Amino acid sequence: MTKRDISICVNGKWYELAVEPYETLLDVLRDRLGHTGTKSGCAKGECGACTVNIDGKAILSCLTLAVQVDGKEILTIEGLHKGAEPHPLQEAFVKQAAVQCGYCTPGMIMNAKALLNHNSNPSEKEVRKTLSSNLCRCTGYERPVKAILEAATIMRGKDER
Amino acid sequence: MKDRLSVVGKSVRRIDALDKVTGRAKYCIDLKVDDMLHAKLLRSPYPHARVTKIDTTRAENHPRIRAIATIDEVPRVVGYWWNLRTEKAMKRMYLQDNVVRFRGDPVLGVAADDEESAQEALSLIDVEYEELPALFDPIEAMKEDHLKIHEGGNIAIHVAKKFGDVDQGFKQADYVFENRFVTSKQKHASIEPIGTAIADYGRSGRLTVYTSTQLPHWSRIYLAGALGLPVNRVRVIKPYTGGAFGGRCGLIHGLEVMCCFLSRKAGRPVKMSFSREEDFEATEARHPFIIELKTGVTKDGILTANSIKLILDVGGYGTHYIGVLADALSTGVGLYRCPNVTFEGYCVYTNKSLNGAFRGYGNPQMNFAQESQMDMIAEKLAMDPVEFRVKNYRGLGEIDPVFDVPIRSDGMKDCLAKGAKKFGWNKKRTRKVDEGTKRRGVGMSCLQHGTGARFGLPDPASAIVMLNADGSANLLTAAADDGQGNRTVLAQIAAEELGIPLEQISVSDTDTDVAPLDGGTHGSRQTYCGGLAVKRAAADAKMALLRFASQHLNVEEKSLEIKDGVVYDVKDRSTNIRVGDLMRKVQIEDLSRCEQIIGYASGVAPAMPPTFGAHFAEVEVDMETGEVYVVKLVGAFDVGRAINPANVEGQIIGGEAMGIGYALTEGLIIDNGKIVNNNFTDYRILRACDVPQIDAIIVESNEPTGPFGAKGIGEATMVGTAAAIANAIYDAIGVRMKELCITQEKILEAIDRGARASGV
Ligand code: FES
Ligand code: FES
Repeated sequence: MTKRDISICVNGKWYELAVEPYETLLDVLRDRLGHTGTKSGCAKGECGACTVNIDGKAILSCLTLAVQVDGKEILTIEGLHKGAEPHPLQEAFVKQAAVQCGYCTPGMIMNAKALLNHNSNPSEKEVRKTLSSNLCRCTGYERPVKAILEAATIMRGKDER
Repeated sequence: MKDRLSVVGKSVRRIDALDKVTGRAKYCIDLKVDDMLHAKLLRSPYPHARVTKIDTTRAENHPRIRAIATIDEVPRVVGYWWNLRTEKAMKRMYLQDNVVRFRGDPVLGVAADDEESAQEALSLIDVEYEELPALFDPIEAMKEDHLKIHEGGNIAIHVAKKFGDVDQGFKQADYVFENRFVTSKQKHASIEPIGTAIADYGRSGRLTVYTSTQLPHWSRIYLAGALGLPVNRVRVIKPYTGGAFGGRCGLIHGLEVMCCFLSRKAGRPVKMSFSREEDFEATEARHPFIIELKTGVTKDGILTANSIKLILDVGGYGTHYIGVLADALSTGVGLYRCPNVTFEGYCVYTNKSLNGAFRGYGNPQMNFAQESQMDMIAEKLAMDPVEFRVKNYRGLGEIDPVFDVPIRSDGMKDCLAKGAKKFGWNKKRTRKVDEGTKRRGVGMSCLQHGTGARFGLPDPASAIVMLNADGSANLLTAAADDGQGNRTVLAQIAAEELGIPLEQISVSDTDTDVAPLDGGTHGSRQTYCGGLAVKRAAADAKMALLRFASQHLNVEEKSLEIKDGVVYDVKDRSTNIRVGDLMRKVQIEDLSRCEQIIGYASGVAPAMPPTFGAHFAEVEVDMETGEVYVVKLVGAFDVGRAINPANVEGQIIGGEAMGIGYALTEGLIIDNGKIVNNNFTDYRILRACDVPQIDAIIVESNEPTGPFGAKGIGEATMVGTAAAIANAIYDAIGVRMKELCITQEKILEAIDRGARASGV
């Protein structure tokens, strides 16, 4: 099979790449660009660890082919903070002790980010529903849910997305 | 004492959380080493076979293949640190032969320039097998004399213990209860799949291995033995780990040793990562148990005799089975006062994927049986299950017959009382709400779980505390943090003992070249065993520091204290010096001295204190569909003292959630040796929408041997969840569920059975 040329923007930086037609966005991010903050837990769409944002929506990068996102802007966990300031979601996860092993955390935060993009004031139920596409084996979800609700409140106050 | 503490007892932020939320934390799977190769395993398609021929010629001609290592040369590690005690036992730990013992057992490994080439190479290798009959059922395997999975036979070990006189005990009983329980093969399912390592066998004969192990130092010794290297030449580095729960409590079958052999052959670093399917199919899981329990009791609710018979399904290779059995023994015999007990356990090989350590070890299995049985007895005696437990559990000052040590801290009654209150036990028990086809029920269980592994196993912990010229400190510890947060807890303990702010403590990487001997992260031991070592090391450093301070301030050592980084005279606070100023003088300014203060401790903890706990569960069962919904769960645990309450709560809630899975959905299904549910769609762990309200209650009994009174927590949290849920299901539907996991189908069948039995 022949490689295809694509250009993608990751966290504000454009990359020109020649990719195999079967290469996933997850592999491109991790193996080619060294953005290992996006995790792989199953590589088949079941765990949510690989969640990133494209056009403000949460997508599973393990189920997305790199060629499908040609010309797109991708936001990963590494691009969320502003300078040394963590994003309110990141800050809330730390403060609420929502992080244990942390392997699920980037996926959870990126999923929550997409939720808050279109619903700045979600109910606990809505947060739980969204978070149900992220598996976490450590926390029992209680604290991540709290963290997301807290971040939502703070972001509403700051009107920051 | 409590208010005098500055950082112990506070829910401080984790020292690693910011790295994790920003995606900067590197897990083993994220690591790259210059010039590294990628490896893949060829796994057996048969559950039991002899490999008769391996032809690698075609693969060797592949231009991107750099090394192949086969079953003919690579040993498996089939033991645990119990085997390290003697040279003879250590030899038994390495098994190298040409038999494969479960579907997915590695036959060979290939290292290539890239993963695709390694994968390709596997199809170029021809392996001939002589298929052998397979044994899947442990009871059959026990009886079988001819077909042996291992040379010594199919029974890996048989243990029999006796306390008192059971025959006499059963004679004294007014009632005798006899039941058989079966438990499932639960998988750790950490979100970072088990099975990534990088081995770098350097040209100078020094081996560096990156692996997410719970046991950096024991793994180092295992690897040295497997490779025939002196221990000093092996370096194990444990990066961030995406959850372990026992699944990484040793070397991974087919992983690190294989990478080392491939690296040695290729002369280049080798990385291998198992897929999620490989994790499910070919790494350790929880031992399934068959438990036969016979209990005698008087009408006043006094236990007179207990006969316990266990069969453990070990799988194709044994690692932790002896310890797992011992843990079941300590629950079966230790939790309740009963003068007459017989205990018999068989660990049996079968041709299925191997079983090993898993949160709770053998305790969740045994507890499920025991606490179900206790529930049946309480019902028969018309006693409140909580009262029945209070009456019988072994508490403060009593001697645990298994480990023969007194219980020095006992918060069981508080766990039961506070748990029951929070749950609304009395009200919920009497007032039942049934709606349409839905029935509600409540149940409870209690438990104990020992902290550490000092009885019967080597269990060292060590720490080094180095003070810097500005008064800050570096803590060197090899206590692996798999996500529990023990590195943060150890930093809190060091800060508290030294009297300096938490921010002035840095915790070392988990690296055997940097940090001294540690027995590993298991047995809920790091807060207690690791914490004691850190506290002693910090105290050692503090002593030297006070000696210098005494000279400098001209005040007796014993009237000096340190708080917030300042050494002061307790009689006159105005006589003081900042630790930083003092350290700068000692290390740098005083040219005749130039000395760094280094505190050090190494050794074994003085005890193995049990953590006590109680679970309360409310369930709703749909009588038509058999669906069970856990409505509410309360877990109350006596942790001695919570060094970091948020961490403790995190353990409790996470453990309870895992326990719900164990009760209701989690069990590997094996058909003809093949694991059918090898993915997260078919093997269901809880999702955010499935988790009920879980209340965590922390009870502090102050363990006198513990650091600031602390004992363990991690494992206890899920030990009794399944029993509490099973008891609640009984309360709801009137039929006893004796087999885990309690699936919808089993419930429907049970409802049917119940209806037939009552003639409806
Ligand atoms: S790695 Fe993409 S969903 Fe699991
Ligand atoms: S924090 Fe470990 S998987 Fe979520």
